[in-house]
Amino acid sequence: MHGLFRWSSKWWPGVIPLVIFWAIAAWTSTEPLEADLAQRSITALKDTVLDKRRIVVAGRDVTFAAEAFSEDGRQSAVASVEAVPGVRLVNDETRLVPEAKPFVWSAERDVVRVTLGGSSPLPSSKTKLIEAARAGLGGVEVTDRMNLARGAPQRFDNVALLLLDQIAKLKDGKITLTDNKIALSGMARELGGREAISAALKNLPEGYSVAANDIKAPPYILQAYKDPVAVTLTLTGYVPDNNVHAALVAAAGRKFFSEKVVDNLKASIGAPAGFAAAVVPALGALSRLSTGTLVVTDREVKLSGDALYEAAAGQIRAGLGKDFPQNWQFKPEISVKPAAAPVDATVCQQLFADLLGKARIRFESGKADIVADSAGLLDRLIETALRCPNANIEVAGHTDTDGEEAANQALSEKRAQAVTDYLVRAGLPASRFTPIGYGSTQPVAGNDSDEGKAQNRRIDFVVRQ
Amino acid sequence: MAYLTTFYWGWLLASALLGLAMGWISVVQHGEGVSKVTKRWLAALAVVLVAAALSRIVPGRFGYWLDLGLIMFALYLVGCAIGSWLRDWVVSRSSPAA
Repeated sequence: MHGLFRWSSKWWPGVIPLVIFWAIAAWTSTEPLEADLAQRSITALKDTVLDKRRIVVAGRDVTFAAEAFSEDGRQSAVASVEAVPGVRLVNDETRLVPEAKPFVWSAERDVVRVTLGGSSPLPSSKTKLIEAARAGLGGVEVTDRMNLARGAPQRFDNVALLLLDQIAKLKDGKITLTDNKIALSGMARELGGREAISAALKNLPEGYSVAANDIKAPPYILQAYKDPVAVTLTLTGYVPDNNVHAALVAAAGRKFFSEKVVDNLKASIGAPAGFAAAVVPALGALSRLSTGTLVVTDREVKLSGDALYEAAAGQIRAGLGKDFPQNWQFKPEISVKPAAAPVDATVCQQLFADLLGKARIRFESGKADIVADSAGLLDRLIETALRCPNANIEVAGHTDTDGEEAANQALSEKRAQAVTDYLVRAGLPASRFTPIGYGSTQPVAGNDSDEGKAQNRRIDFVVRQ
Repeated sequence: MAYLTTFYWGWLLASALLGLAMGWISVVQHGEGVSKVTKRWLAALAVVLVAAALSRIVPGRFGYWLDLGLIMFALYLVGCAIGSWLRDWVVSRSSPAA
């Protein structure tokens, strides 16, 4: 031992090459060592959920900065790095993700993109939401402006996914989740979208509620266009259901006696209350125009076109709105068609015959009340009568053979009188018209079939020079 | 430690071999060694450095280099001790015959 102590005084020269070795070792090993430790630290944190992770290694000391989502998670992350073999010190610069109070998450849609904003509780939720948005809104750009924050309400992911489904039903708008209150605004993509969203929101988990639902439905539109050249009535837009659809098409068929009805209507929910009760009389008014367009937008009815004569224009302007259910508005833009050139009495007779050959003036069964469906036909008869102002016209009422002859006679007279009164109310001089009832004495078809009887129940216009 | 030795075992081996060679030579070398006083100062310096390394007060890369230097130096000393002892053993065995 004494020898060892004595010899050690002569060991110093070897320190010189040792220092050289040390310098070379330090020079060559530092960077690979640091890279290796960084890699091992990252591997150790592989299963830990962190945000903004940053690892810097100097020598064997690791500076570890990150935002953790819970205190436990933060401590276990630091411990994992400390446990990496070779790490000497960990400079702990970790902190908790800031807590959002209130916790707000939003999804906003405009024409081309959906922007996800506000806070998301975990990176995995964030990814899930972005992927769900991309999948649910095929072709729409998804912009992520979400940050990460603690303090999300329970079952946040489920609720946010449900709300993303609703964003898909919007044309534009915004859905905001503030803690457990949901606010919606914007315009539904399709008719019925608003109702579908309201229904879906009933499935929200317990504790969540809808604070404001200002989703607007797109306008409920029905259009009817009367084309005098093609002699068609084109119906487009929406009807509430198949029953109303059938009823509207049937009413159009009765009111437009010479036009072919082109039916492009589709059934959809979301119709305003009283839809059929407003559209049927509006179609009646359209049938009185020579050419015209009817546009029903929600509760607003806009009718534009040319009436056949001045009094008809006045009646339509003043009369239609009265037939509407409450809260419906009528916006008439009715002008009057320029009067057609006068014709002589023979031509007039021909025109009357043509019109009455296409359709008959119809009355309530067994009564002398003209039904509203005949207004279009009567307007055309009046327009024709105005073209031959000097002709005197016999308004001839006929019935079929059903019932007592005396009753038929009386009914035919009353009906002829009712038509004459209608013509006089339209502004024609009463002196030009002679109402005559013929009962069932002048049949134009056999009274042995329903079809024949229907043809016999008629009003004829006969021009007397 | 185990991690560090696996990482640069070549340098440690080189230090130990250097020490072995130095120890082998020092037994038969003539001339003055370092004085007792100097040796104490050097020992004190070594203690301070070891204390600094153990207390981890030297940060970052310098701390690593200190650790590295001390480990290499320790192995050098071990090598010197073994080398000197071996040489002494060889010399003492051969001297009666000579």
